[in-house]
Amino acid sequence: MAVYKRGYQRYQGPLTSRTARLLVLPWFAWRRLFEQRLLIVLLIVSLFWPLACAVFIYLANHSELWAGLDREVSGLLEINGRFFLTFMNVQAVLAVVLAAFAGPSLVAPDLANNALPLYFSRPLSRTGYALARMAVLAGLLSPVTWIPGLLLFAMQAGMAGWTWLASYWTLAIGLFAGFLFLILQLALVSLTCSAYVKWRAIAGALILAFFFVLAGVAETIDGVLRVTWGAFVNPLRMMYRLWCELLGVAPPENPGLAGSIVMLLVLALILVWVLSRKLRPVEVVS
Amino acid sequence: MNTPFRLRQVRTIAQLELKRVFFSRRSFWVYLLALLPAVIFIGHGIDVKVRQSRSASRTVSREILASIQLGDTPESVIERAGEPIDDHQWNWKEQNREVAHRRMMYFDGQDRVNLHFQDGLLASKRQSPLINAEEDRKVFAGVFQYFYLRLAIFFGCLGIFMNLFRGEMLDKTLHFWFLAPARRETLLAGKYLAGLAASIVVFTGGVALCFAAMLWPQSAADTQAYWQGPGPAHLFAYLAAAALACIGYGSVFLAAGMLLRNPIVPAVVLLLWEGINGFLPAILKKLSVLYYVQALCPVPPPLDASAPPLARLLLTPSEPPPAAVAAIGLLALTALVLWSASRAVRKLEINYGAES
Repeated sequence: MAVYKRGYQRYQGPLTSRTARLLVLPWFAWRRLFEQRLLIVLLIVSLFWPLACAVFIYLANHSELWAGLDREVSGLLEINGRFFLTFMNVQAVLAVVLAAFAGPSLVAPDLANNALPLYFSRPLSRTGYALARMAVLAGLLSPVTWIPGLLLFAMQAGMAGWTWLASYWTLAIGLFAGFLFLILQLALVSLTCSAYVKWRAIAGALILAFFFVLAGVAETIDGVLRVTWGAFVNPLRMMYRLWCELLGVAPPENPGLAGSIVMLLVLALILVWVLSRKLRPVEVVS
Repeated sequence: MNTPFRLRQVRTIAQLELKRVFFSRRSFWVYLLALLPAVIFIGHGIDVKVRQSRSASRTVSREILASIQLGDTPESVIERAGEPIDDHQWNWKEQNREVAHRRMMYFDGQDRVNLHFQDGLLASKRQSPLINAEEDRKVFAGVFQYFYLRLAIFFGCLGIFMNLFRGEMLDKTLHFWFLAPARRETLLAGKYLAGLAASIVVFTGGVALCFAAMLWPQSAADTQAYWQGPGPAHLFAYLAAAALACIGYGSVFLAAGMLLRNPIVPAVVLLLWEGINGFLPAILKKLSVLYYVQALCPVPPPLDASAPPLARLLLTPSEPPPAAVAAIGLLALTALVLWSASRAVRKLEINYGAES
């Protein structure tokens, strides 16, 4: 064929599905992440607490091991919503550290090296790109959050029997949903910080500071102004309030449930807005 | 190349770096961290002033307020004391019946008197000052120890000092410094001094502003008594503690910025290390910045009585050393870290390809 006839022609070969295209990004990102030894160490450290909880469940279900203990101590060995709430609290802190470690490498290098046009020149939308990057974190955080949580639940259900399962089956849903919300929040914060500062090194510190400093600001507001609404600027505290509701545990007086949900939604919207402003396929140089 | 010449080089490098540290866009969030508590204290001051002006016009004598007893009706109270400053009524369902609640507030020129009625009878009477100077000082101590020392100065120094070397790596400009006819230790000293000057100015400034904002709404008599008493010593101690924290954290993060590419690692390790300081054996406690800095704080921070025992243990400062020992100990720790950093900077190799 003459060269001048080789004009643009649409690709006629088989097309991959939209989901398969989205999964390409997590697939490569996971491979790169798991090459880092420190991440593996962090993941292993994150599994110590679930292991300790498993031992606790084993002890709680073998009354012969603590037969000599008084009633107060025996009461502490009960497996209920409070037990899973404590489990979730500890894992949430580890999840924040993991997100701060892994999150910055998701978007920052693409922005710093002007690689976004390369992504968006392929059949991938901005939403698709963001979802794929969030899937990387979801995949990384799941083995330290809801997966061990549900395994612990299954272990307890297996050891305690149907009576316990009939009374506490909602805990499994609460645990899964609670961790899902946490992962969503962490992924949004990580992506936004990563996109906002562009540099991996700084973005990690920003993610960490976001959660710790906002917790400090909340306490400062409460302490100085003698109010109780300061918790509304602490994302992890609001998440805790939501978890209390999901697990049916007596919640703290503040923040309120409706307020927490509204503020979490507002925070998510702000993060999505910042992210959408930063994730642009082209950069206009003025 | 004698010592005065090297000192001049250090000064020149510090001057060049100072502009970058103070006026770069990356520094804005450090200012924000330093000034945020002051803004909150100013908000508190405005709130108190507004309440004072509202209450001053409707002052009720102390004798009348003292005559109000539990079991009185709202009507009899209003008859004696007049219309209250605040009056709220609401109904609440308790044990399957509606209970009528009413809350009224009076002001006697100094204290607020809150009256709570249930089913038309006075159920509780609480008297509290509109502003409690002693309580405010405790709150300030808490803000200083929990917010400034553990968060603001920590993350601020992380940003400022890690940026000195790692930032240049990211900007791909570090080789310009290395090509200059100056020893690397001189460069390190210059950069450290610039970071130190910036962090000390920003954070001691923030603490001083916060201190002033805390004193602003207090009565003239209270403020004068405080300034003639322990006030100046307290302010000096807070400023010294903030400056020492900048010196300590600054050296650690400067060294970490050269040795490690990812700041999360030192940040998490140091956060954890400082957090578990209360549990550590005496010898290990001395390897913590917070251990020395907390010793200089003049007022112990308030602890939430309802906090879990573990949290209380983590937040309780460990047995502090004497102030002079604390200052010398921290400076010795800083010198040790800077010496290690000076050894590391000699072997530092630039690999811009690995940074992004």
